[in-house]
Amino acid sequence: MNESGRAAGRPVAALVLPAVVLVLLMMVAPMVLLFRYSLNIFSPTELMIQALTARNYLSAVTDPYYLAVMATTIRMAVLCTLIALAAGFPAAYTLARMRGRWKAWLTLATVFPLMVGNVVRAAGWMTLLGNAGLLNAALKASGLFPDPVQLMYTPMAVALGIVTVVLPYMILTLASVIEGIPRGLEEAALNLGARPLTVFRRVVLPLALPGVVAGSALVFILCMNAYATPILLGGPQFTMMAPAVYDQFVKTTNWPFGAALAFILLAVTLALTLAGRALLQRRRHPA
Amino acid sequence: MTSLSLDGLRREYGATVAVDRVDLEMQQGELVALLGPSGCGKTTTLRMVAGFVAPTSGRVVIGGRDVTAAPPYARDTGMVFQGYALFPHMSVAENVGFGLEMRRVPRAERGARIAEALRLVRLEGLAERRPAQLSGGQQQRVALARALVVNPAVFLLDEPLSNLDARLRAEVRVEIRALQQRLGLTTLFVTHDQEEALTMADRLVVMQGGRVRQTGTPEEVYERPADLFVAGFIGSCNILRGVVEAPGAFRAGAMALPCAGGAPGERAALVVRPERIAIGPEGRLPGRIDLVTYLGGTTEWHVTTDAGALRVSQKTPDAADPRRLLRRGDGVMLDWRPEAGRLLSDSNEGEQA
Ligand SMILES: Nc1ncnc2c1ncn2[C@@H]1O[C@H](COP(=O)(O)OP(=O)(O)OP(=O)(O)O)[C@@H](O)[C@H]1O
Ligand SMILES: [Mg+2]
Repeated sequence: MNESGRAAGRPVAALVLPAVVLVLLMMVAPMVLLFRYSLNIFSPTELMIQALTARNYLSAVTDPYYLAVMATTIRMAVLCTLIALAAGFPAAYTLARMRGRWKAWLTLATVFPLMVGNVVRAAGWMTLLGNAGLLNAALKASGLFPDPVQLMYTPMAVALGIVTVVLPYMILTLASVIEGIPRGLEEAALNLGARPLTVFRRVVLPLALPGVVAGSALVFILCMNAYATPILLGGPQFTMMAPAVYDQFVKTTNWPFGAALAFILLAVTLALTLAGRALLQRRRHPA
Repeated sequence: MTSLSLDGLRREYGATVAVDRVDLEMQQGELVALLGPSGCGKTTTLRMVAGFVAPTSGRVVIGGRDVTAAPPYARDTGMVFQGYALFPHMSVAENVGFGLEMRRVPRAERGARIAEALRLVRLEGLAERRPAQLSGGQQQRVALARALVVNPAVFLLDEPLSNLDARLRAEVRVEIRALQQRLGLTTLFVTHDQEEALTMADRLVVMQGGRVRQTGTPEEVYERPADLFVAGFIGSCNILRGVVEAPGAFRAGAMALPCAGGAPGERAALVVRPERIAIGPEGRLPGRIDLVTYLGGTTEWHVTTDAGALRVSQKTPDAADPRRLLRRGDGVMLDWRPEAGRLLSDSNEGEQA
């Protein structure tokens, strides 16, 4: 199919046309509109005054509050990406090396959490981590902690919540790449005297690097834009960028400033993703 | 000195027995070929030696050390995999140097040994290439060099020539054998190609259904096959069924045929190699030609006789020789020396090759 498609380019172009139109209509147009808004001026009475100014961007990047929110967001996204990578790799490896019926079941089990919405899942964490939640009840019953331990509304709760959301994406991305690494390469390394950890470091990891790059980029982007989880598990004291953008649009109705924040978030996410990718790929081809 | 010994090796996969009661003693510097039809357990046996498959029972002893329970990295075997399994992200030199690095050989010595190994396989100029930039034959040499360079106690090859074209295969076969003899490597070689096994090996282990059918030098196995399976698998042969009338006389159909030994009254199969049968105007066994196949250096005649159908193979006769004029339908006489007719027990199990 691929080859015949390449032979006759036009039919394939026709096939992708609906998708292109849809993307233009549903994604590019709103983005252009939003960008246009970000150059306008906010007025409490008229909401938005047509203008062409960088004022919104300037005030966003000079406001210590938003700088702190951005720092929190980046820290949380980096942390969650690293945790997802560390936790996801062994799982992805196991999944990739599995055979037969078990593999199908395990893949299904990996995808299963995606069928539960983020809000529902966060609610689940709340019943587990709350002061009257399951975990605290257990701690109390154990007698070690007579008073409730603050688990909810902590960065840890947010990290836990986000990681469980993004982990399936990481695992599936990594597994698809690891599956392409022939088992024989690992056997060859073992045969040449490499211990399992060395086999991992010298053979599996370098060859899985494209998966690490893709999975980390995907997960990092998801983390940077996390919305429901930080609100529900982080509480009012913990703010990340996506909720901050939402607040500007809905609570303050300052659309120009909200739009500017959104584009700053987009730019920072993109820049960090590309930087991370370059860093990983440099490791792959030293000198 | 014994460098590898397999002692009652057995491996089960669920209900199937992949390898059963395999015994083998290999001397230092010996090349042994594991030979047999697909699924007979060759790869499984080799992988048990390398440590990738745990035996259900039995022992693997390398250089006097029982390694049955040792992991692959602690066994000192050098394996050449069927698909070569070169590390795609490393250069040729890095691939070859990997085993040395794992053995903590100092960098300077490593460089010298890599160069030496690449010279042995005639790949000097390609050290900096990636495996993807090499031809199949070159990749195969890198795989050889990578396994050789660490001087393994046992060299293991799983059908290393199967991905090469016929011409290259014949060439590499000779090279591997020369290299193996020069370096005195104890080598266990898996193949299902009998010609490969006959030309390369000091000894053959013929396997079928997980069991060893016969172990011996190529000559022993070819000249004195232990059973009908081995006779049919190594080279081609004519099999006639009948009864031993008297020592040296075998009755098949209406004919009494020459054979070596035998106890009178015994039901048996008489095995005669096609090239041991003389064809001409004189002989003991009359027949009629069904087919003449001219193969250049040799010619084959398919002959129907009262004892059964026989295939005869001889050096193509001179142009003046009357045998050159034999055609389909002509009557001929066949004969062979008594010692060329080998009696084997007539069991059916041997024939499922
Ligand atoms: N991992 C496995 N699981 C189940 N059965 C296996 C496994 N590996 C091998 N077998 C079975 O064991 C038997 C021997 O297999 P093996 O690969 O050793 O054969 P082989 O002689 O190398 O054949 P070939 O010439 O086709 O490579 C076969 O019947 C095979 O189906
Ligand atoms: Mg095999």
